[in-house]
Parts: sequence; structure tokens; C-alpha cells
Amino acid sequence: MSNLLHFSEHTLQEVALVLMATVYFLRIKWFLKWPLGKERQPATGLGDTNPKKGARYSFGLIAKPWAMESTRSKPFMYAQFVVFHLGVVASITLSFIIPYGPGLLMSSTFVSVIQVLVGAAFIVGVMRIIRRISNPYIRAISSPDDHFSLILLTSWFAFAFLAAPNDISGGEGVMLTYFILTAFFLMYVPFSKISHYLYYPFTRTYLGRHFGRRGVFPIRRKPAYQVSK
Amino acid sequence: MSSTKNERSYKAQKVLDRMGQKLNRQMVGSLTACVHCGMCTDSCHYVLANPGDPTFAPAYKADKIRKLFKRHYDWTGKVFPKWVKAGSVYTDEELQELKDIVFGKCTNCRRCTVNCPMGVDLATFNRMARGLLCYVGIMPEGVEYVAKEQWEIGNQMGVLKEDYIETIEWQEEELQSEMEDPTAKIPIDKPDSNIVYVINPREIKHDPRSVLDAAKIFYAAGEDYTMPSEGWDMTNFGLFNGDDDLGGAVAGRVYDKVEELNGKKLVISECGHGYRSTRCEGPNWAKKDITFEAESSVITMLKYIKEGKIKVDKSKNPGSYTFHDSCNNARSCGLTEEPRELLSLVVEDFREMYPNRAENYCCTGGGGAMSMAEYRPSRLKSAKIKADQLTATGAKTVVTSCHNCVDGLTDLIGHYKLGMDVTQLVNLVANALVIDDIVDENKKKYAEKEEVSSGAAQ
Repeated sequence: MSNLLHFSEHTLQEVALVLMATVYFLRIKWFLKWPLGKERQPATGLGDTNPKKGARYSFGLIAKPWAMESTRSKPFMYAQFVVFHLGVVASITLSFIIPYGPGLLMSSTFVSVIQVLVGAAFIVGVMRIIRRISNPYIRAISSPDDHFSLILLTSWFAFAFLAAPNDISGGEGVMLTYFILTAFFLMYVPFSKISHYLYYPFTRTYLGRHFGRRGVFPIRRKPAYQVSK
Repeated sequence: MSSTKNERSYKAQKVLDRMGQKLNRQMVGSLTACVHCGMCTDSCHYVLANPGDPTFAPAYKADKIRKLFKRHYDWTGKVFPKWVKAGSVYTDEELQELKDIVFGKCTNCRRCTVNCPMGVDLATFNRMARGLLCYVGIMPEGVEYVAKEQWEIGNQMGVLKEDYIETIEWQEEELQSEMEDPTAKIPIDKPDSNIVYVINPREIKHDPRSVLDAAKIFYAAGEDYTMPSEGWDMTNFGLFNGDDDLGGAVAGRVYDKVEELNGKKLVISECGHGYRSTRCEGPNWAKKDITFEAESSVITMLKYIKEGKIKVDKSKNPGSYTFHDSCNNARSCGLTEEPRELLSLVVEDFREMYPNRAENYCCTGGGGAMSMAEYRPSRLKSAKIKADQLTATGAKTVVTSCHNCVDGLTDLIGHYKLGMDVTQLVNLVANALVIDDIVDENKKKYAEKEEVSSGAAQ
């Protein structure tokens, strides 16, 4: 292994991680300085829910595609969401396994699992790029950051797929590109929309508590009290 | 005052300054967390009624507000404005364009909110944007007029106290006549009552029958209630124009009157935005923790039936009925089951509408849209979604617990020639009341009294 690849796998990643953590810390600090809107209204609704229950339901929606009309009516979009995010997890995991636990990659099954996950995520990424460009609704709301973030992640998946076997016998180009992309990704994320997961726990909790207090969450979809004639 | 791109107009500057004062953490979360996934798009009735036009998409509309936040309050937008589509406003014309979006293309129904995977609450910051524009006097004329009435006269329809009292007295006479009881009262400002009943000014101005119907129900239940002479308007244009000060003042008048009368419970007549404003948002706007119980009249009526205080006969309401959930009741207050339970007790043929409850579509008159004449064509076009929903039920009458929805539905039913009637639960409950025995008893009692008094006179 060359010094450059060693540097890319270790020092570069560590610096990028520290930078990401620092910016995340500043982002959270900035976010928390905004005053929290106070809820004074007495609890409403049927009485079988409360802010805590609402927050739990709100969080759980991510794993319940049937619970929201938007995901219920677009199961393929929901499947894409799952595949894409599993790919992100697999690719991040890979960036730690290669330098710190390469023995795991001796297993061809493990490598295959990683490759299936990031490969599928790559395909979804390409589909999402096409959708973002061709769908007039999505195109109209897309910023340069939206396009760039998607292209960055999709490219990263492609190199994660190639890097998964951790084989430099054919040259270090793929590994170098994967780790440089990973470092760039880590440094870019806090400044981009990819950092949405930082706010996700807050938005879902606040909305869940709000709707839980008002008896809206969990959403009811019971049949009518009386069946029509 | 207008200005060029190089210098910001007075109003534009005011809007940006005010934004910083109105933001809270919940709103900042919603403004920051959108990933432009587009999952909210199909949840909006404006989008569904205008296929192919992305300017109606919730995320697109939200971005018109979000860009200001990003440019002036979020540092990524301050450093890389074009990269994250951050932008500012400079001219009054740009504020007018924003007005057409926040008032004319969104009814704040919150359907996109409950469909957003990230938990972004567009309706909340759309309301904030309305408030910013109203702060500098940019709003639809109708909204300005109604808000002024509510500030100055104390109710949104400018009903004078004399007219209000006169209408109540007129309904009291009707009540006496229908109940054959010359002593029947609609009490005004009666202290220490069990219930203080507040209404929508539309009931006084256009639909006094609903005041009479409520009075009949209270009478039949033997309720100790009163209507207040002041602070009786439970509607609140502060919800629509985003003015928390107006919202707090209007809700505060109601709360103060209940406390002054030492009422035990505040009962709010059927009105989606009125219920939400008075029951839910009012304490936040008025910065006041209310010390008495407050409930929708739907719940009060349901309790009367369940507790046996009133008897109803559903065969008195023949025909087929469907129920339209008011957005404010269903998506902001969780009032979805009680109206259904009550409806099923007073009609024989109740046909559910789909989607329903918190997934129901707006009547298109929400968010104060009925007072914005300039957007009527666009509103009625978007109403096609609701019209299709209504038609699919096959019902002859649509029931709703909201005066705003009554007007919105009536308008769209006329426009799309659906031939349906619109009514409220209070009307159906009053009509289904089994009161013949009470009336007969009254007849007998007062006939005897008359005989006694005429005998004494002889």
C-alpha cells in the first residue's frame, strides 16, 4: 500500500470526520439557540394519545409506509428510499472496515452483501438523478446542492462497489478515489441538504408532540361508524 | 414604495426584520429539513387540480418563503446563496407575488404536513409568512377588511351588539313558540352558568337557525347555560392572516368573558377554525393558560345523548348523508370520531367519504379563502377534487362541523352542479330531538295556568 493510500484511508478520513463533527456541533448549537415555541393549549382529541405517544408514532412513520398516504400510494418510491439509505449505511461502514477491520472482507459473502447494497443504491441513485431532471415538479424545486449531492452520493456508491473487495492488485486508483470521495463527502455533508438527518429527530419529535397533544397522531383510518345502506 | 434591486423597499426590509422575531425552533426545523423529495406534491388539492403546474407544489410554495430564511438567517444560504437557492426580496412587487402564493395557492390545510416524511410543517410557516405580509399591509382586501372588523368591532362580521342581542331575542321567541313555553330563555350574561356558549358571527348574520337549534338542544337537555354579550365570537382571523396579536386579542376576549361570568365550561359551536383558534391556538397567542374546560359543541351534544339528557330519533332525518372533516378540526385538533359517532346517532344512512379524517381534502374555503374574492376562480378550480369526493359518496347531503366549510362546500356544489345540500350536526341533532312529550307537557301546563288566571280574572 502506498503512503498516499494509507494517508487517504486514515489521516484524511480522521481530519474529515473531525471537521464534520465540528460543523455538526455548530449547526446544532445554531439550531438550539432558536426559542422553542410553547404549547399552552389543553390536550385535545380522544384522550387515547399524548405528546409522547405522538412523538413515538411520528418517529415510527419511517418504518410504516402504510401510515402516510404519500408513501402508501407510492410503494416503489418508498422502496427506493430504503435501498438508497441502506446503501449509505453500507458505504459508510465499508469506509471504516477497510482501514480498521479488513479481515471481514476476506469473506466473499460479506463483500457480496456490501456490493449488493451499494450496487442497488447506485441504481436507485441513477433513477433519482433521472427523476430530478425529468420530473417537472422535482426539477422546479431542485437547487444546485440537490443535484450535486445526488450525483456525489451516486458516484460514491459506484466506487464503494468497486472498493468492497479491498483488492489493490490491479492498482490503487479505485481505492484512492473511494477514500478521497468519502473524505470529501464527510466534509461536504454538513453544508448540504444531506445533513437533513441532523434535523430529522427534531422535526419529527416536535411535530409528533404537537399532533400527539392534539389527538391527531396516531392518525385514525377506521371504517365508518355505520355502513352505508 | 417600490425600489430597485440595489436598494430594498421599506416594506421588504420590514418583512425580513420581522421574520427574525417570528421564527421559533419548530419553524426553523421545518425551514431547514426539507430535502426536496417531492413526496408532498400529490397531497395538495391545488396540485391535483392543476396537473403539470409545479408552482402549486407544496415544496415549491414553501421554497418561496424558505429562500428568505436561508438568505438572511441560515448561514449556508448567507455564504452560498445560489448553491442552496437562497434569495431575498427587494421590491413591493415581489411581496405582492409572495402574497399570491401564501394566500392564493395554499389554504393552510396541513395535508402536506401529515404527508411529509421529514415532518416539515409548511402550513405553520406559510401562516407566519402571511403574518409578515399583513404586518406591512400586504394582504387580500377581504382579509384586511375582516381583520379590521374583528379588531375594531369585536367580531369578524361587524355585528353590532344591539343586532346580536336582538337576534338572540328573536330566536328566544322562536324557541318559546316551538317549545310552547313562554318562559323559555336564551340567557345572556347569566353568571355562574355551567356552560358559556360562543358562536360564529355567521350564525347571527346568515344562519340564526343554528342558534335556535342549539337553544332547543340546551332546552331539551335542561342545561344551565348562557351566551355572552361580549366576547361571543369564537372565530379568529388571526389564524388566517398570521397575526398572533389579533389572534391573542380575539381569543382573550372570549377567555376574559368566561372568567368574568364565572362559567364552568366554554362550549364552542361548530366551526373548524373557531374551534382550533379558541380551543388550541388561542392560549398560545394570548400567552394565557385557561383555567376552565373548553370543548366543541359536537362533544357536548354527543354527551347529552350518551347521558340520556336528550333523546333523538334518527328516522326524523331521512335521506343519505356523508361527513366532511374540517381540516382544522381533523388535522389540527383530532376531532374526527365524535362527529361520526354523533352523526350515526341522528341519521339512518351515513356514507363515509374517502379519504377521510386527517387525510380528508380541504373544502377549498379554508385558510380564510372565502374572504379572498380575487382567488375565487383558482379556488373553485381546485375544488374539483372535493367535488369528485362528494359525488363518489352518492349522498344527498354533506354534513360538516364548520361554518367556513359550509360556505366553501355550498360554493363548490353550486359551481359543479352537484345538487347536494350542506348542513351541520347541530341542525340534524335539533331536528332529530324527541321533544313531543316536553312540548305536550308545556302545552298542558300553560293551558292550565291560563285557565287558572282567566278564572281568577272572572
